[in-house]
Amino acid sequence: MKIIAKERLPEVLQLLAKDYNVLVPAKFEGVTRFTPYSGDVELVLEENVLMPPKDIFFPQTEKMYKFKAKNKSLEIEELPVEKEEQLIFGIRSCDLKSLECLDQVFLTKGYVDHFYKDKRERTALIALSCVRPQEACFCHSMGVDPQNGVGADIQAYDLKEKIGFKAISEKGQEILEKISGLLAEEEVSIPSFGEFNLKADIEGVPEKLQGMFEHPIWADISRKCLNCGACTYVCPTCHCFDIDSEVRGEDGVKIRCWDSCMFGEYTQMAGGHNPRPTKKERVRNRFMHKLRYFPERYQMLLCTGCGRCVIKCPVNMDITAIIKKIKEAE
Amino acid sequence: MAVTVEQVKEINPLVPIKAKVIKIVQETPDVKTFHITTMDDKKPFDPLPGQLGMLSLPAIGEAMFSVTNKGENHIEMAIKSVGKLTEALHEIEEGQEVGIRGPYGNGFPLDYFKGKDILFIGGGIGLAPVRSLIMECIRNRENYGKLSVVYGARSKADLCFKEDLFENWPKVPNMDVYVTIDREEEGWDGHVGFVPAYVEELAFNPQVTVLCGPPVMIKFTLPALQKMGFADQDIITTLEMRMKCGIGKCGRCNIGSCYVCLDGPVFTMEQLKKLPPEY
Repeated sequence: MKIIAKERLPEVLQLLAKDYNVLVPAKFEGVTRFTPYSGDVELVLEENVLMPPKDIFFPQTEKMYKFKAKNKSLEIEELPVEKEEQLIFGIRSCDLKSLECLDQVFLTKGYVDHFYKDKRERTALIALSCVRPQEACFCHSMGVDPQNGVGADIQAYDLKEKIGFKAISEKGQEILEKISGLLAEEEVSIPSFGEFNLKADIEGVPEKLQGMFEHPIWADISRKCLNCGACTYVCPTCHCFDIDSEVRGEDGVKIRCWDSCMFGEYTQMAGGHNPRPTKKERVRNRFMHKLRYFPERYQMLLCTGCGRCVIKCPVNMDITAIIKKIKEAE
Repeated sequence: MAVTVEQVKEINPLVPIKAKVIKIVQETPDVKTFHITTMDDKKPFDPLPGQLGMLSLPAIGEAMFSVTNKGENHIEMAIKSVGKLTEALHEIEEGQEVGIRGPYGNGFPLDYFKGKDILFIGGGIGLAPVRSLIMECIRNRENYGKLSVVYGARSKADLCFKEDLFENWPKVPNMDVYVTIDREEEGWDGHVGFVPAYVEELAFNPQVTVLCGPPVMIKFTLPALQKMGFADQDIITTLEMRMKCGIGKCGRCNIGSCYVCLDGPVFTMEQLKKLPPEY
């Protein structure tokens, strides 16, 4: 395998930054997230970042088009498309899996989301294997291998003192060639992965949920939920969005921004009717979506076991505990 | 040439095209029909009956409406004033430029209706989506059997599409129109009473029925239809949910694993019974 000493990783990133906008896991304004690489970023390689990489492809707020509205007239103008090639270094298996979910949403079923597709196509992915699970990780339970991601161009391996690189795609091969001058060939063994603290037995859950729409479990599960939406923002697969406009005088920009199924207004109709009027319906929809509706529509779970919602929920809602409750429900 | 469904999918589906409102018809005190055409006087898109379009005054908002009819060079949307955008739409005048994108959704299963006697049931603004199908049946009259329309509104003033109801449709061969209002009022010598009871009283024997109206109308009409012997696959309705993207991505219009903007808005009772009752 091609390897480099860990402390020399910035040299690799520096070199790649000549051709790409390189995004790396780093501490930025007190939060760990993917951040444009520069010499003084605070790299975070020991654990996954708090903010998922979805905002690289699906920004929290994104301009869609411009318009000018004056009296009866209207002009609509599309925005110029960015051309810059991007590269994410250090994306973990759980987050790679989330891109597979997002690809289903944004690129299939008859309509292609141009905003997403554009960014997805010009972003190369260097995955980084995990050495040990964090406190709330349970990716393995969701069918994710923490040491081998799906859909990466290069799989990098955390070898403790060193980092190893293995090209997966043709694009990955090209990227590896660019940095080959910095790498040495070495026989290595990939360190074994530790024991997961959290586990979930998902077997049969999507099927069982089909008959559980009216089950009393939802009133019970949703009781402590604050509908704050934190889980949906830190979730790498949650993708609901709102469309709104920013208007200044005659000029405006149409934007889309992350929305959350936890919010009452999300489904509130103009005439006043709301099909999901209380937190019971909203919490039910969130878990049904992840574990039942999404698998039914796209043949994959909408949870990758990254554990972010478990860590960030202010009232300690834990999706693995909910899966267990579903399993045990009569 | 109007933009076809395939072309719509190739262009950015979330960005509307500019269009203009060429005619506004005041249907009732709170319903207006807007006739919309492109800047070069073409249909903005060519919808199937029952399909939807996203109409916007970009500075104020964008919302999904059913296309109630299409002409040679325009489409029509009948819109009730209920919220921020629709109130603003009711303020605009002819010549107003708007954003529009579509068509969205599945539309009515036209092949299924071919050669059949059809009963259309509408309440209030619920006639808007059904009208697109009625107009299709009239345009291609020979493809369909007997057409019967039962339509009700709160009062005479609240009846939409009066010209169709009282002048145009009764003249169509083998087509009957039955109109009712909720309460007696001066100057009305037609039927008085609610739609579900009227449907039962008229005792139709058609093969397929399309109904759309307020939930309370649907709730009470369904037992009447079942009593009349309709099978679940022959009871067809349209649903509405809050929508933002219109293309099955933004998430909010789901009923179970199905998205109303993409897989609907037209559903048979058979399909609805398989979905969670969350609409």
